[in-house]
Amino acid sequence: MDFTVVADNFGYFMLGAWPAGPLGGAALTLLLSLASALASGALGLVLGVGLSMLDGAPRRALFLFLAFFRAVPVIMLIFWTYFLLPILFGVGVPGVATVVVALSLIGGAYLAHSVHAGILSLPAGQWQAGMALGMGRWQVMRLVVLPQALPVMVPSFINQWVALVKDTSLAYVIGVGELSFVATQVSNREMVYPTEIFLFVAFVYYLLCVALERAAFAVGRRYAAPAR
Amino acid sequence: MFGEPLAGKYLAWLFEGFGVTLALSALTCVVATALGFALCLGRIARPIWVAWPLRAWLSVFRNTPLLVQLFFWYFGATFFFPDALREWLNAPHAWRLGVFGIDWPPFEYVAGFVGLTLYTAAFVAEEFRAGVLAVPPGQTVTARALGMTRLQAWRHVLMPQAVRIALPPLLGQYMNAVKNSSMTMAIGLAELSYASRQVETETFKTFQAFGIATLLYVAVVVAIEFAGEWLRRRDARARGGR
Repeated sequence: MDFTVVADNFGYFMLGAWPAGPLGGAALTLLLSLASALASGALGLVLGVGLSMLDGAPRRALFLFLAFFRAVPVIMLIFWTYFLLPILFGVGVPGVATVVVALSLIGGAYLAHSVHAGILSLPAGQWQAGMALGMGRWQVMRLVVLPQALPVMVPSFINQWVALVKDTSLAYVIGVGELSFVATQVSNREMVYPTEIFLFVAFVYYLLCVALERAAFAVGRRYAAPAR
Repeated sequence: MFGEPLAGKYLAWLFEGFGVTLALSALTCVVATALGFALCLGRIARPIWVAWPLRAWLSVFRNTPLLVQLFFWYFGATFFFPDALREWLNAPHAWRLGVFGIDWPPFEYVAGFVGLTLYTAAFVAEEFRAGVLAVPPGQTVTARALGMTRLQAWRHVLMPQAVRIALPPLLGQYMNAVKNSSMTMAIGLAELSYASRQVETETFKTFQAFGIATLLYVAVVVAIEFAGEWLRRRDARARGGR
């Protein structure tokens, strides 16, 4: 084992060609994760509330829509967005945006069900009490149900976000220069140290995922505490 | 926009890829279930010299991307093998069982299978563990009080309930295994996503190439969903009939 190859390319692993060129490496992985986490969280919240408030045909349509995105492999969806987004918008779309769109759709579809389950976990009395006070359905949702249901959902959000960090590695297939892509680049250039390189890259991902989990649980606990 | 339908040759590529995807995921699910069960037993074992290393093992496999794990098995793992094994893996050979023969697959198939199986097994182990933890402790205590040995209590009281609880999330992991098998295309394993990409580059019929592949993935996931529903019904009927 000879980890000098990692030490020699450390800056490239962390930041890509930045500041001389575009940002890449672990920093881009972090950026992709952050953008996808925010977008999937917002999408999951909206669609999850939709799943709880709609009924009849629109609800069934939404259900099928979500089922589709949960059934498609991330790689296939990245292929689709890579191909469809430029047609849809009529301009070239950067690879980074392509990946964020694909990951947010999949993450959002999973989170929508977690949000829906969180909303269902509240006793019906909460709804009845809200209605009895003269609130509308949406008011009850916004003022009574969501503030109580959100802390329940924290663990599902964290799990989904950890999965997102791992899935950003798939940006590799369309040549976005995040950590996995940079790793294969260095590995192909150096030819001789693939073991050291991929062990190191796995370690960086591991740190990212575990740190996210720890931090989110700490925040979640503080946030959930006053509700009890 | 859709153009003419794909020529038969390209459809054949896609279905060959689909066959590889099915075989790889089926084999992965079977082996990962057995391995995941064993890992779960070790993870909940009393002695910490068994439980703690396994805890670290599971944490590493669950918290690193499958893609990087596949790269590791494909490019990096041979570093740890003795030279003889390395040569043996790269050389073609076949097993003969009477008239049947199985060719040893190319290395990307071995690396893809090992990577996908170890990744899936780590998730399966945690689903089993959650199932075991969800059974109320009174169940085992009662079984022991009735004179069962620890092994009997495990075998006849705890396990049936734990497996029933773990079944739905387990099926979810099988679906994930099918979807995750697509990542093996990155190390050159010619499964469905790889085939769809190949057909797309050759024909430029993107909609059809990706569309057919996507539909095939969805069909497998739906089939697993139905299988789960069927198992649940059968289980409910068996329990209601008692």
